[in-house]
Amino acid sequence: MPDRRFPPHPRPTTNGDHAATSRFLSGYTQRLTTSRQVRQGIISLVGLDGCPVLNQSGEEVGRLVDVVARVGGTDDYPAVTGIVVRVGRRRAFLDASAIDHADRRSVTLRTARLDLREFHRRPGEVLLAKDILDHQLVDTDQVQVIRAADLYLAQVGDQVRLVGVDVSLQTLLRRLGPKRYRWHPTPDRVIDWAAIESFGEDSPEDPAAVKLRTPSSALRRLRPAELADVLEGLGRPGRKELLASLDHDLAADALEEMEPDELTALLREVEPAQAADLIARMEPDEAAEALREMPADEQTQLLARMPQATQRELARLLGYPADEAGGVMTTVIACASPEETVEEVRKRLVKLAKHQTEIDSVAVLDSEGRVIGDVSAFDLLVNKAGRPLADLIDPDNPPVTLQPDADLDAIATTMVESRRSSLLVVDEDGKPLGRILSDDILDALVPGHGRLHFPRLLQ
Amino acid sequence: MSTRREEAPPGSRAAQSWAGLTTLTRIRIGGVRLTRVRKSRIFLVLAIAGPGVVAANAGNDAAGIATYASAGSQFVYRTLFFMVLVTVALVLVQEMAVRLGTYTGKGLAALIREQFSLRFTALAIGCVLLANTGLVVSEFAGLGAAFELLGVSRYLITPIAAVAIWALVVFGSYRYAERIFLVMSLAFLAYPIAAVLGHPDWKAVGLNLAIPHFEFTKAYLLLGVALIGTTVSPYMQLYAAAGVVDKGADPADYPRARIDAISGAIFACVVSVTIIIATAAAIGGTGPLTSASEAAQALRPVAGQAAEGLFALGLIGASALAGAVVPLSSAYAISEAVGVERSVSRRFTEARLFLGLFTVQVIIGAALALTRINLITLLIGTQVLQGIVTPVILVYILILTSRRSVLGKAANGPVFRLVTGVCVAGVSAMSLLLLGSTVLGFFGLG
Repeated sequence: MPDRRFPPHPRPTTNGDHAATSRFLSGYTQRLTTSRQVRQGIISLVGLDGCPVLNQSGEEVGRLVDVVARVGGTDDYPAVTGIVVRVGRRRAFLDASAIDHADRRSVTLRTARLDLREFHRRPGEVLLAKDILDHQLVDTDQVQVIRAADLYLAQVGDQVRLVGVDVSLQTLLRRLGPKRYRWHPTPDRVIDWAAIESFGEDSPEDPAAVKLRTPSSALRRLRPAELADVLEGLGRPGRKELLASLDHDLAADALEEMEPDELTALLREVEPAQAADLIARMEPDEAAEALREMPADEQTQLLARMPQATQRELARLLGYPADEAGGVMTTVIACASPEETVEEVRKRLVKLAKHQTEIDSVAVLDSEGRVIGDVSAFDLLVNKAGRPLADLIDPDNPPVTLQPDADLDAIATTMVESRRSSLLVVDEDGKPLGRILSDDILDALVPGHGRLHFPRLLQ
Repeated sequence: MSTRREEAPPGSRAAQSWAGLTTLTRIRIGGVRLTRVRKSRIFLVLAIAGPGVVAANAGNDAAGIATYASAGSQFVYRTLFFMVLVTVALVLVQEMAVRLGTYTGKGLAALIREQFSLRFTALAIGCVLLANTGLVVSEFAGLGAAFELLGVSRYLITPIAAVAIWALVVFGSYRYAERIFLVMSLAFLAYPIAAVLGHPDWKAVGLNLAIPHFEFTKAYLLLGVALIGTTVSPYMQLYAAAGVVDKGADPADYPRARIDAISGAIFACVVSVTIIIATAAAIGGTGPLTSASEAAQALRPVAGQAAEGLFALGLIGASALAGAVVPLSSAYAISEAVGVERSVSRRFTEARLFLGLFTVQVIIGAALALTRINLITLLIGTQVLQGIVTPVILVYILILTSRRSVLGKAANGPVFRLVTGVCVAGVSAMSLLLLGSTVLGFFGLG
């Protein structure tokens, strides 16, 4: 992971003229100054932990236990809403309005009165040291799952806000060292909080900690493969929360990108109804692959919860061995008759847009339903709208097809020889059963580079 | 006409091809059924024997064999009751580890980082690292001992083995080698047969298993701690928790996971007990074990003259197997506690912390196995070290499983807490006693 300075240094724009450069330079010095000020202004949460809480005259009234913030709202940088203070044997909550100022090693209060009510978590609030520090977070910027080594707070306007997460090993060592050095921030690898997605631990004891919320916009911008990465990296509570907050179709797309064993594990730990829904939304070949890994009883249980049509289709795909054409193919195929025009076919493809990753050409069938041609999407794009498909197929060159029992080597060889990015799978009458795309074959041939697990024998 | 056949109106071309497909499926049914049946039968056998065999092998590595054999040789059947207690402890601890895994869905190291302060996390991780490094040393010592049985000098084979294991893991063909090692290590399943064929004194075996007895000598204490260390090692607990987490087992799967864990623990201990019995019947009462060829005598009733060869084969397999898995697992546990396990996933070789920890452990393991210490002494010594460290990890597991904030309703009840508390206290008392008497020994007081 490349080191990132905090706050990020500005980068020069590539297409700037002279004026822009000088503007950039003045902006640069300004930002450097800001950067230095921010470095001096940030407060380490680890340093605050256990620090004295003082009244106006500087006398210690208690010790700080935790900092409360409202995470997951619309703010990029959550505001601190209060602190938890240990006074004697009690833990009291102090609202942020009672704090006069906070520096790195102590918190000074504004009022002399101390309301010794026990702390109760309000909805949306988290305890930074207990719930966020040392827990898993998602860095949506670099798409990685991290564990917070320290959290940095800063005075922004009249509020103290959570601004960054420290993930460096050096910070962990600082925390192991003597207490008097702990307050000193070591902002070497800090991630801007705006890029962070945090999770409420679903503590079995404290249901108020479970947050229901929409995922940040940054999370929604991630590609399915990136989301899959994050899902694989998170522990179960985080994974469940993330999955629940995603749109179902987006979640299904992400699942398609996961490693098969990770996916099976994930589907087994979510509720059967949710798992069935997700599988039904996945592309059929990926869904069949996911089901294949499951124990037979769970497989039937999940199938039973799906719509009839999906159920039949998946059951059929599951009938093929995984290492033959029938087991690798997708059953999403676009078909057309030779009389249809390019225009008509294009229109139909528009409706299939959600299967865009599975369709790269259109099978042309004769009146008996047999494949007589395979017209690529490129051909549909470059040919005139009015031409019938019959014109686009070469009668002397029958389309290259496969039988469902062709093995992986045969599929790969045929694909390389025919120089096509996908091949149709047909039955013995020449009627189409499905399509194998080159990426399916890549998936099947390339050994999985899954996440490293705790090393065990015979995984 | 449609993209999905099922949506096609009846009578269309697609519907006809649907009919064509059914015949095809029908033709294929025989083949499909055949493959299915074959597969499920293999899985059935694996499901019954698999976890137990693997768990037993994970426990019965080079150091385990040496420790159990030494128990049989030095104390004949007199450690058997102690092994019953150790079995109870292993069952309790494995159950807790599996419960933590199924209910939280997190590895043990990650859980410790989240639940304890960083300093306590560092202590736990340090203990795991210490215990596992000891294990790695013992694996290389085991390899050396096995090759010495075959007439190859350990000073020659240990560096070669270290480089080979390191390269196999880093360059990624370890998964294939692992199966060969596993098959080789199955040689140790000859022990239960040897225990029967060796005509042990069954009456003495039965009495020693059932009637509580201890010896209050330093040698017995030392071996007792080694037996605990090799049976209830920290590594086994990390392994058990990670196993259920990786499979996606959730609270609903817990009853099954618990049966797996308990039966695996009992199976492993039964194999261990047969090693003690077989060795006791062959060379019992001849004092502490001093060489691998002595230990190999126990397999004579099964293999006759080939006993040493069979023993060496099993030892090579088991040591090579664990020689890679143990350093990898401690590197993984530490990465998990630091929070960088994710970065290990894609670029294994670029994850500096992970690769560094793995490499350092292999180097230390091989280097210590090259010292001029008697290999059997070294093997048992590493298990004593494990036995001393184990109680620390057990305390963490006990605290975690007793916290309602971690396990909710599945947290330990008062009775279970008492039983496990006594168990952990017993184990701790033994290692403290040993530590104490060793320290006193340094000052000439012991």
